Amino acid sequence: MRPLAAAIETKQLTKTYKSRIHGKINVVDSLDLHVEEGEIFGFLGPNGAGKTTTIKMLLSIIYPDAGEGYVLGKEIGDMSVHRLISYVPERPYYYEHMTGLELLKFYASLFGINDQALFVRLLEKVNLHRDMSKTISQYSKGMQQRVGLAQALLNDPKLMFLDEPTGGLDPIAHREIRDLILSFREEGRTVFISSHELSEVELICDRVAIINKGVIARQGKLTDLLRGGRVEVTFEGVTEQWLKDKGMRDSHVRTIAGGVLLDTTEEEDINALIDAARSNSGRIVSIVPRRKRLEDLFIQTVTDAPAAAAKKTITVEESTSV
Amino acid sequence: MFKPIASIAATTVGEAIRRKVLLIILLIGVLFLVVAPGLGMLSARSETTVLRGMMLGIIQLTSAVIAIVLTVYMIPNEIERRTIYTILSKPVQRWQFLVGKYFGAVSALLMMMTLMTSVLVFTFWLQQRDASAIPDLIKAPVMYFVQMSLLAAVAIFFSTFVSPLVNFFLSGGLYLLGSLFAPFFQTLQESQGTPQAAKIFAQLVNTILPNFANYNIQNPIINPGQQIQNESSYYLQVTVYGVLYIAGLLVAGTIVFDRREV
Repeated sequence: MRPLAAAIETKQLTKTYKSRIHGKINVVDSLDLHVEEGEIFGFLGPNGAGKTTTIKMLLSIIYPDAGEGYVLGKEIGDMSVHRLISYVPERPYYYEHMTGLELLKFYASLFGINDQALFVRLLEKVNLHRDMSKTISQYSKGMQQRVGLAQALLNDPKLMFLDEPTGGLDPIAHREIRDLILSFREEGRTVFISSHELSEVELICDRVAIINKGVIARQGKLTDLLRGGRVEVTFEGVTEQWLKDKGMRDSHVRTIAGGVLLDTTEEEDINALIDAARSNSGRIVSIVPRRKRLEDLFIQTVTDAPAAAAKKTITVEESTSV
Repeated sequence: MFKPIASIAATTVGEAIRRKVLLIILLIGVLFLVVAPGLGMLSARSETTVLRGMMLGIIQLTSAVIAIVLTVYMIPNEIERRTIYTILSKPVQRWQFLVGKYFGAVSALLMMMTLMTSVLVFTFWLQQRDASAIPDLIKAPVMYFVQMSLLAAVAIFFSTFVSPLVNFFLSGGLYLLGSLFAPFFQTLQESQGTPQAAKIFAQLVNTILPNFANYNIQNPIINPGQQIQNESSYYLQVTVYGVLYIAGLLVAGTIVFDRREV
């Protein structure tokens, strides 16, 4: 099958492990992923959901038991694609006796690259140029993560896999890593992030997939996935009772300084209500859409959806296009 | 194709020479070499014979322990620390990784054995003041190096599919078997009076079991009365045997490692 023009494309990708107690377990079950080129894609899921297993399959570190997968248009397992991708594992460990500069030289040699200027430039990019002569054992967690990102840029990759890139870092290091990831998108790279840090993902990702028990439970653009939240409308010139009489479902009305505040769902016909208020000498002071938070969506997806129901992939783009 | 192998080997050497446990074993070996002349004087046998035997024995034993400890953890450590993931995400084939780790281990062994041999030569010269015996004395560590390279290949092969502890006993056990019993099975195979079934069994064992005894050439060095017939030819023959066996183990290790999910 010819893959679609995408950075990553998987069809029914499955990985099974044998357990003495539970027999065969599908750690990743019929995974259909689609990651566009040039986007930051968040791959979310609770512990043991199958995130790292999926990344390992895409990198040919482990082998799928069924299905197919393509990375930058090449079937997984094709070594030529390894020149165009890079990977920063979760809680990475680098050879501690090496300095930052030596580490880059080592990884570069695996590509046949020997460019001192490039190494210095990359260390400058991750703000480690002043510490390039220190050994990795002298680096903090954040510095190790940054040197990991520098080694991941050595081959000027088109696609980067980052497994928990901000895990266990302090807020300053978080911000530094986040800014670096955003700069990767500006440089035209595709970034595939597996993460638990939902607030980070919400800030930087274009699209996300939520995997639960090896199955993709949701996948789509963040803006689409988080749509369907609530709206706050502030009125003047109408009473609290007048709004309550409109009988809107799942709504709250209260009087505030300077008007009456209606808190309702986006599904309600707000336009009709506004028209009615205006024709009743009312005035609209503000309309504030309140997006769903990714954390709420994540928890709802993971806790609400039982495993069997979760097998049905919900793709927001598909459902909204109907 | 060879650049990644060389880089991985160099990194492996860098790690190996910093491993405290290996340095402690090496230090103990060197200390024993230094005090060996004192112990040799206590023996009733010829002081030179005892000294040579003791010093070569120390080098062989220390090198064997270093070879096993160095290699049994090599692949499992890379997996446990996840360093292997970053390497395999680059354009590096698994066989290149395995061969690179092996050559790194052998290079580190060479450095450590060279140090011990230097101490041996210096201590022997200080004690005996006889430089003419030194070239003969060095032949044994050279053959031990081929032996330890073979042992390292055995341990690397096992490390692709068993845990370090199991590997330690497997490799160590195979080393003892191959050192002590290989000559017995060889004699059994060649003896006229051996039943056919026993001959076939002995031939099978001889083929599978790495013959570490080939490299135990200390007897002619310790006892000047003994000699190896066609010495150069023998050394060449057992070295080629070792290289071929190592190549076979690395190919087998690659086949196992290629299928392994790390």
